Amino acid sequence: MNSDIKFFRVGVASCGVAAGAAEVRTLLENAVDVPVIGVGCIGHCYAEPIVEAVLKDGSSVFYSEVKANDKAIANIIELGEANRFEIPAVRKEKELVKVLALAGKVDPVNFDDYVANGGYEGLKRALAMRPEEVVNEVKLSGLRGRGGGGFPTGNKWSFLAAKQADEKIVICNADEGDPGAFMDRALMESVPHQVLEGMLIAAYATGSTKIFIYCRAEYPLAIKNVSTAIAQIIEHKLNVLDGREIEIVIKEGAGAFVCGEETALIASLEGRRGQPRFRPPFPTDSGYKGYPTMINNVETFGNVPVILREGGAAFASVGTEGSKGTKIFALAGDLKFPGLVEVPMGTTLNEIVFDIGGADRSVVKAVQTGGPSGGCIPVELFDTPVDYDSLRTLGAIMGSGGMIVVGNDRCMVETARYFLDFTHRESCGKCTFCRVGTMRMFEILERITAGKGREEDISMLEDLGKKVKAGSLCGLGQTAPNPVLATLRFYRNEYEEHVREHRCSALQCNALVDLALEQDKCIKCKLCIKTCPVGAIGDDFVIDNDKCTRCNSCADVCPKKAIKRVAKGTK
Amino acid sequence: MSIEFFLDNRPVTAEPGETILDVARKNGIEIPTLCRDERVSKTTSCFVCVVKDLKTGKFLPSCSACPAPGQNIDSSSDEVKDMRRTALNLLLSEHSGDCEAPCTLACPAHAAVEEYVRAGKNGDFMGALKIIKQRIPLPLSIGRVCPRFCEKQCRRNVYGEPVAINEFKRTAADLCYDEYMEDLPGLSGKKVAIAGGGPAGLSAAYYLRLGGVASVIYEAMPKAGGMLRYGIPEYRLPKATLDRELAHFEKMGIEFRFNSKIGTNVALDDLKKEYDAVILAVGCWAGSSMRCEGEELALSGIDFLRDVVESGNTLLANPGRVAVVGGGNSAMDCVRTAVRLGSADVNCFYRRTENEMPAEKLEIEEAKEEGVKFHFLAAPVKLEKRNGALALTLRKMELGEPDASGRRKPVEVPGSDYTLEFDTVIAAIGQKTAAPGGVEVNRYGDILQIAGEKLYAAGDCVSGAATVVEGVASGRDAANLVLKDLLGIPVPQEHTVNVSRGKWQSLKKEDLVFLRDDVSEAPREKLAYISLEERKSSFKEVNASMTPEQLAKEGKRCIECSCTDKHDCALRKHGECYHCNPEAIPGERQKLSYDIRHPQIIQDRSKCIKCGVCVKTCKEVVNLTLLSPKYRGFATCVGTAFDQGLPESCSSCGKCVEACPTGALDWRIKK
Repeated sequence: MNSDIKFFRVGVASCGVAAGAAEVRTLLENAVDVPVIGVGCIGHCYAEPIVEAVLKDGSSVFYSEVKANDKAIANIIELGEANRFEIPAVRKEKELVKVLALAGKVDPVNFDDYVANGGYEGLKRALAMRPEEVVNEVKLSGLRGRGGGGFPTGNKWSFLAAKQADEKIVICNADEGDPGAFMDRALMESVPHQVLEGMLIAAYATGSTKIFIYCRAEYPLAIKNVSTAIAQIIEHKLNVLDGREIEIVIKEGAGAFVCGEETALIASLEGRRGQPRFRPPFPTDSGYKGYPTMINNVETFGNVPVILREGGAAFASVGTEGSKGTKIFALAGDLKFPGLVEVPMGTTLNEIVFDIGGADRSVVKAVQTGGPSGGCIPVELFDTPVDYDSLRTLGAIMGSGGMIVVGNDRCMVETARYFLDFTHRESCGKCTFCRVGTMRMFEILERITAGKGREEDISMLEDLGKKVKAGSLCGLGQTAPNPVLATLRFYRNEYEEHVREHRCSALQCNALVDLALEQDKCIKCKLCIKTCPVGAIGDDFVIDNDKCTRCNSCADVCPKKAIKRVAKGTK
Repeated sequence: MSIEFFLDNRPVTAEPGETILDVARKNGIEIPTLCRDERVSKTTSCFVCVVKDLKTGKFLPSCSACPAPGQNIDSSSDEVKDMRRTALNLLLSEHSGDCEAPCTLACPAHAAVEEYVRAGKNGDFMGALKIIKQRIPLPLSIGRVCPRFCEKQCRRNVYGEPVAINEFKRTAADLCYDEYMEDLPGLSGKKVAIAGGGPAGLSAAYYLRLGGVASVIYEAMPKAGGMLRYGIPEYRLPKATLDRELAHFEKMGIEFRFNSKIGTNVALDDLKKEYDAVILAVGCWAGSSMRCEGEELALSGIDFLRDVVESGNTLLANPGRVAVVGGGNSAMDCVRTAVRLGSADVNCFYRRTENEMPAEKLEIEEAKEEGVKFHFLAAPVKLEKRNGALALTLRKMELGEPDASGRRKPVEVPGSDYTLEFDTVIAAIGQKTAAPGGVEVNRYGDILQIAGEKLYAAGDCVSGAATVVEGVASGRDAANLVLKDLLGIPVPQEHTVNVSRGKWQSLKKEDLVFLRDDVSEAPREKLAYISLEERKSSFKEVNASMTPEQLAKEGKRCIECSCTDKHDCALRKHGECYHCNPEAIPGERQKLSYDIRHPQIIQDRSKCIKCGVCVKTCKEVVNLTLLSPKYRGFATCVGTAFDQGLPESCSSCGKCVEACPTGALDWRIKK
């Protein structure tokens, strides 16, 4: 081992583990005598497994895509040149890492590590203030709810603080359900203490007696790390605030997307079916078992220790007029560097998608923000600064922070269909418009993508979409039509070509596409014939499109790229 | 502190805790809702009660939203109504079941078939007759001659033969017709002339009298009944039976003037002057021509039948060799009458095949039994006198593409002509209206104007030759229009929302909902026929009415397809109010999943609107938790623990049944 090395960090959050980091960590531990620390996610999910060799002089050497074999490990421990990883300079310039500062730096389940890096400094400062001063500090910071709604956090806290009740409840909404969003998971896996610190500060500021973390069961590592952190908090008696002992309970959700909605979440916590109810009364008036209750999202709580550490005013110096601080986004889709990114509010989509995400400008069509509740924003509008209000004017929403980059080879009708497929299944079934309306919208989209759309389908989609938004009780129904309405707004021509010409210009909708083999490019290697699962390619290298299932396996294996998707019926 | 706000621009006041819906009700503003039940906490599910907050532009469920001071709430604009209509249409788009039984929907007169069959099954034939006469004032006749639209749509066709629905009418009328007298209201003083004493005219007179209006029927022929008397032969409808039926009309005070033909003996203008209204129901009495050379040598079917009746069934003592051209019911009447007149050689010529014949299958069968020979794909081209006989030249046809009626069109086969000799040739290929002068007609000669300027029209003369039951329905419609115009009585509306699971042809036995445990699997009861010899040699009625015992068995075969809640269903009620259409928003419907494991209660999930009121009722009112919502999305439904059905701890209190806005939870017994 190179003697400059002080210790190693291995990213073992879910993204790292999925790429093989656990095996890498074991091999490394067996190979060296210095400490090997499992840490959380530094956001570069595309580069996992990542190993950081921390040198004695304080500098670090990063390795990416480390294979779990002796050769790769030997390379690292000798500080070899292979697989060295540099964070792109443009990313360093655009990012402002505050909430995620300790992610990937500290051992998530090591209490002392967190404290040694400034952890619980915020709680200490809060406890030195009067509760209302803490609320004011949060108000001053301008922090808005990071779960999607964007409600001013300080105001919410003040509502709860003003309540007189035997019990008051603080709930952390960790039911992150949007496809393509994983900010909250990363925070809980990487720095669970930071989230809990935020909750303890909230409990102190609002005079609450009980804390719940409602986390989806699909996040086992997050649940494990948060549970460990809770035990450590109790061990260190940090849950005793102002003389009262706060009970901290982690509750696993059973997989219903709608339980991310606050009234449904409360119903689920109470042991009832996760269904939203009409508000008012708002949870701060009557929430969990009738007690005043306040619900904030994981990332919101993750911001709170930062605010208390640096002060509300300093926090508010970053961001735009209406949206303060930084925001974590989960980048996914058609770009080079999928992963997590934390930028100041007001950073443009151009900067996020192209500069940080490394997407190819020539192939990007749009970005979907806010997951299935959000909308798409076409590439022409990428100079839009990302904050709560400007996204809303475009018919999209900030949402929890998922950002899915959509390439030119994606059909926007199919994209809308995909999201509606998710939301219509996840409707709790209570409101007519959401339960039946989203189903009908989904059926229309299925029809259109199958080339069986009717002219009146487009207007019916629009009409139903508006009504589902207006006639649903909770955020799920109120936002479910967004992907459809946004694509209808910006890509109506794609809907029309499907309906009128039975054509999908992105060549994505299988029912409107044939596969064709260009004979002059073909080298007769027969790989396609061997690969085709349905025997649709004859010995004459002609594809029988009646048999073909459009699985694309042949095109994928063709060494000469001689097989292409073409519009149905192309001669 | 009470809250002042505006509802449809009216200043109103709410007490604390009152919802917008509560305030609207207090102020007589009707807002529809399916899911608000005062006995349980709010469910906020159906969104049929939406109103709009004009300040924020947001739609609010009025059942749950409490007003804010100064708020301006819109509950009646087109936009709000459109939202409500869409909510209802969405609920109807997933609703599956049958509001009304397909037999009732198929009946042109919308007689409540399921109800009178049930009464007959239970031996209550007077009750059955009362139900029948609400729509069919000629049950003795129609019970014998109806082509049974109802039976053709009967769901029992899915497995086996349909319920013998029409026999219930016939037997109920046979048993109770003479004793039953309607409660007649006092007369209003208005008086109506009706031209034509056939089914439509009689029906109009009947329903006018039930509405308090007297009428006088002007009949061209010496006796009343129209086609019932002069078109339908004795062996299908004995004249004695018809006379019995008509006697009741006289008992009701309806006047008849015989031998009074409009335009000939009576002037239409005089009637219009003398009466408050005139209803033309003159029927279709002109035979259509064969459109071939020498057609004048043929008898018209309708004339032939009328002559036989007028001669007391003796004329043309033996018509010799007979050819009847045509494939409808009149053609069957002609051939079978010819048989009874003694002809041993009766032939029916039809230009398509048996499959396309418009005549009733039973009529065709009975004609065959009686020895009638059928010649299909044969069209007349020439009729001439030869050697004292009639030489009928026919041309062979073949079937081509389907025409507008959906039947395959006959196409001539060139050079296929052949000639046969007969003593009598009858053209029974249809009838036309001979409208009185001065009345506007369409290109077929049928009367166009059916209401207005004191003049109304009904029956065959409007529709072209149709069935007795259609004539009766049309007569009732005309009577209702007259009652509206003369007395301001609103025209009774048929249900406009009828969810249906489809025609029986698209269903399997598993798709049918069995409310009762005792639905009989037995085959259809058979009619008792007189001997074939008697049939061929006399005009005696060919079969006897079914006995009450037979009908008790037959009634048990009825599945009772209609919804238990059809009279009270809030979804249907509001849907009709808001002009909804169950087909407006196409899409998948809920899968059939009815549950009759409970002895008294049926849970039919395919009719559930997921409002959850039953769940809350069981929990909050009954203090049990036997029902619970389950699943998500479109599949959401109300279930029982471990899907075991309502358990023994269910006391059948019926609170959930009362609470259910639709027929998703209901009693298994229909009243």
